[in-house]
Amino acid sequence: MPVKQITSTCAYCGAGCQISFTVDQEANQILEAVPAPGRTNDGTLCLKGHYGWDYINDPQILTKRLKTPMIRKGGKDSPLEPVQWDEAIDYVAKRLMDIKAKHGPDSIMCTGSARGPGNEANYIMQKFTRAAIGTNNVDHCARI
Amino acid sequence: MNSFVQGDPMLCIGCRTCMIACVVAHEGKRIFQIDPDGYDFHPKLKVIKTWLVSVPVQCKHCENPACQAVCQSGAINRIDGKVIVDRDKCIGCKSCAEACPFGAVRMTPLCNESNSDGSPRAVANKCDLCAGVEGGPACKRVCPTGALRLVEREDVDQIVANKRQAVVQVASTI
Amino acid sequence: MSNGVHEIEDAALLFVFGYNGADSHPIVARRIVRAKQKGAKIICCDPRRIETARIADMHLQLRNGSNLALVNSIAHVIIEEGLTDDKFIAEHSTGFEEFKELAKNYPPEKVAKITQIDPEDIRKAARMYATSGRSMILYGMGVCQFAQAVNVVKGLANLAIMTGNFGRWGVGIGPVRGQNNVQGACDMGALPNSYPGYQNVTVPEIQAKFEKAWGVKLSNKAGIPLTQVPHYVLHEPEEKKIRAYYVFGEDPAQSDPDLHEVREALSKIELVILQDIYMNKTGQYADVILPSTGWNEHDGVFSCCDRGFQKIRKLIDPPADANVLTDWDIICRISTAMGYPMKYDNTEQIWNEVISLCPSFIGATYEKLEKYGNIQWPCRSTDMSDTGTSFLHKDGKFANPDGKARFSSIDWQPPTELENDEYPIILSTCREVGHYSVRTMSGNCRLLRNLEDEPGWVQMNPELCEDLGVKHGELVKVLSKRGSCIARCLPTDRVKKQAVYMTYQWWIGACNELTIASLDPISNTPEYKYCACRVEKIEDQQWAEKYVLEEYQKIRESMGVQKDKGGKAA
Repeated sequence: MPVKQITSTCAYCGAGCQISFTVDQEANQILEAVPAPGRTNDGTLCLKGHYGWDYINDPQILTKRLKTPMIRKGGKDSPLEPVQWDEAIDYVAKRLMDIKAKHGPDSIMCTGSARGPGNEANYIMQKFTRAAIGTNNVDHCARI
Repeated sequence: MNSFVQGDPMLCIGCRTCMIACVVAHEGKRIFQIDPDGYDFHPKLKVIKTWLVSVPVQCKHCENPACQAVCQSGAINRIDGKVIVDRDKCIGCKSCAEACPFGAVRMTPLCNESNSDGSPRAVANKCDLCAGVEGGPACKRVCPTGALRLVEREDVDQIVANKRQAVVQVASTI
Repeated sequence: MSNGVHEIEDAALLFVFGYNGADSHPIVARRIVRAKQKGAKIICCDPRRIETARIADMHLQLRNGSNLALVNSIAHVIIEEGLTDDKFIAEHSTGFEEFKELAKNYPPEKVAKITQIDPEDIRKAARMYATSGRSMILYGMGVCQFAQAVNVVKGLANLAIMTGNFGRWGVGIGPVRGQNNVQGACDMGALPNSYPGYQNVTVPEIQAKFEKAWGVKLSNKAGIPLTQVPHYVLHEPEEKKIRAYYVFGEDPAQSDPDLHEVREALSKIELVILQDIYMNKTGQYADVILPSTGWNEHDGVFSCCDRGFQKIRKLIDPPADANVLTDWDIICRISTAMGYPMKYDNTEQIWNEVISLCPSFIGATYEKLEKYGNIQWPCRSTDMSDTGTSFLHKDGKFANPDGKARFSSIDWQPPTELENDEYPIILSTCREVGHYSVRTMSGNCRLLRNLEDEPGWVQMNPELCEDLGVKHGELVKVLSKRGSCIARCLPTDRVKKQAVYMTYQWWIGACNELTIASLDPISNTPEYKYCACRVEKIEDQQWAEKYVLEEYQKIRESMGVQKDKGGKAA
C-alpha cells in the first residue's frame, strides 16, 4: 500500500495545530491523523484534531457532500437541478451583472470564509467583490 | 501488582479525547471508513465533571476484584496484571456493574449481536488497559495535557512514602 | 493576539476573561494548564465554573453582562493603590488623565451590585494582576459576544497599558480567535472596511495603491457588515436593499442570531449563491450551489489565532464522482465571465500577490513557510533571517499614528434584553468541545457524532431543575420572545441559577431561534451571550423523543442524505 505522511494544519479551531496525516494515495484515502510538532500544538492534538477528519469520506451522517453545481431553474420554489460548470458560472455572472446594472454594486453582498478555503481564496473573494463587482460589501463570520 | 490508569484533575480539561481514543483502540482504524453505525461506541472510561474536579473514571484493576468475585459465568479474570472481561462468556447478569465500587463497569449493547427477541445483546464493558494494543493505554497516549498516567507498584509505594513523610512532619510540630 | 500561544505558559499571571479554552481551543487550554504547572497564578473571570476556573487561584464568578463594570473596577483599584506603571503610561500612552476620572466611579463596593462579586476579591485580583511582573490577558467570546463588546476589549487593554504589560514576552492581551482561519479571513481583507493587511478602504493613498495593482477604480465607501444583512434586506428603503448574497463557506441560517429573521431575509433576497463543500441550512434558500474542494483537497495558507501563517497541503483528490473546483478557481471564473479577468495557476501565485500588497506580510513567502513551518506577522523582510514576530508592541510602540497606546474611558452598559416576568432566565450561548461551528464538518464525523448528537444540551443549575421538576437527560422546551427549541436538560452546579447555556450547532436544539440580533455598534457582533428566556418542562417525554427523532430525520433528508445511509439520532 503506497502510504505517505503529509503534514497539514487542522481545519477546526484557531489554535493552528499541525497534524501528520497518513494517506493512502492509491486508494485516495486518509488513514490516520497523529500530532506533528507545530509551534502552537507542541506535538499534541484534541479530539477534533485526532478524530475529526472522516467527514471527507462523505459518510452522509448529517448532510451530503456537494458534488455538482446546481441551479433552481424554475425560480425560488423549484428544485435544485445539476448543471455543468460553464452553465453555473454563466448563470451567476449574468445575474450578478443584471443586479449590478439595475441596483448598483452596493446591492450585492459577498462573504469570505473563516473555515477551510484558506487565505488565498479569501483574498480572491474580496478582490472579486471590490474589483469585479465594485463594492466593499464583503465580510465573514468573524462577528459570530 | 496490577497497574491502572489514573487521571489528575488539576491537569484534565474535560475534553474527552481519551474517551474517543478508547473506542478507536478497541474498534480499530477501520471505523473511519465503515458504516457510521457499524461499530460500537462505548468508551471504557468516562469523564466526570463536578464543581471541584474534571477527570475520567475507569477501572482500578483491583487485586481482588469485586466484579470477578460476583461473576457467575467466569467471564472476568485477572490476566497478565489486568482484569479482563471475556465478552463471549458474559451472560449479561449485571452483577459486576452493581458490585464495582467505582462505577467502572457498565453494561453496553453490541451493535452486531442480538438476543433471541432481536434486541441488542448487552455485555459488561470496562477498561482492559488496552490489552493487545500496541503502545499501551490509548487514553494516556492521546491526552493533550498529559493528565493520565499509568500507576504502577513503585508509584503506589512512592505515594505511601510521601504521605508517611508528611505525617511525621506534622507530628513533629505538635 | 498580541502575543504567541507558545508564550502563554511563560506568563507569571494569566487573567482569563470570558474565555473557555477547554471547550473552544483545548490545545490553547493546554498552555494554561502548563502555565499553572510552571507556577503562574491564574485569575478566571467567568459566570460559569469552567475548567480554567477550577484550577485558578481566583475565580471571579461575575454576573452575566457585567464585564465592563468589573474591568473598570479593577482599573480603579490599580490606580487607587498606586500600582500603575507610571513610566510606561507617560512614555507610551495618551488619555490616562481622562480615564482616571472615569475609573473613580467604579469602586469595588459600588459595582458589587452589578457584578455580584465581593469587593475584597476585586481588590485582590487587581493587586495580583498589577504586581505579577508578567501578566497576560486572554479573552474570548464571553467578552466579544455582547452589545457592549469592543469597549470591554478596550477596557482590558487599559489594564495592560496602565501596568506596562505590553511589548514583552509572556504579557499582552490575547483574543483567542475561534475558527481555524478567522484570523486569515481578516488578514486577507474579507472585511467591509479594509483591504488585505488591515489597510483601510477610506484612505486615498491605499485606495490608489490597490487601484493601480488591480487596474480598476475602487469604492472608498466602507461596506455592510455581515450581521446587518437581514436589516438591509428587510428594513432598508428600496434603493439601499441587498439583492444578491454570495455566501462562501458559511451557514448564516444556522449560525446567525434570531434565525426566524435570517430565514425571512434569505427568502426575500433575489439571488442567493452558496459555495460550500456540504449542503447546509442556507443551501435550502440558495438559487445556485457551487461545490468546492475541502480543506484536505487543496493547498493554501491559514492564519492561526496568534497571527501565525501556516501551510495547508492537499492530502487527497476530491471523490471520483465529484465535479468540484477549488474556491479560488470558481471565483476567478465568475469574475472573468463578468468582464474582470482573474487567472492564477496555483495558490503560490495568489499568495505572492497578497504579500506584495501588504507591508506587514511581505516576508512571509511560501519558501519561508515551508522552511520554518510557521511565520507570525508582521514579517516585513523577505530576507530569510526575518522569521516573523512573536509579540507586538515591542519597546512600547503601538499602531496609532503617534506610536502611543490610547486609554479609552467608557462606562458600563447593561445588556439589551433583560430578564422579565415572562422570560425570567438569561440564555447564553457556549461551545461544545467535540463539535465545530454549524457542524457540517464535525457532525459528519463518526466518532464526534457519537460523542454528542441532537438535540444537544441546555446546562441548568440543579436548583432550577428542581424548581421546574426536570431531570438529567429529559427533553425541555426553551423559549424566548423570538422562538423556541427543544434540548436535553443537563443539571450542573457549574452554572448559576440565573442563567442557562446552550451551543448553537444543533438543528433541533437550535438556540439561535432564541438569540437576539442586538449588535455591538463597532464590531457588529451579536449579543449571543445574553437574552431573556424561559425553560418549560415537557410532560409527554415519549412524544418529545419521537419528535426529536422524526424532525432530525426530516432535516437530514432535506439535506439530501440517503435514507439508508448515515447514523440515527441520539
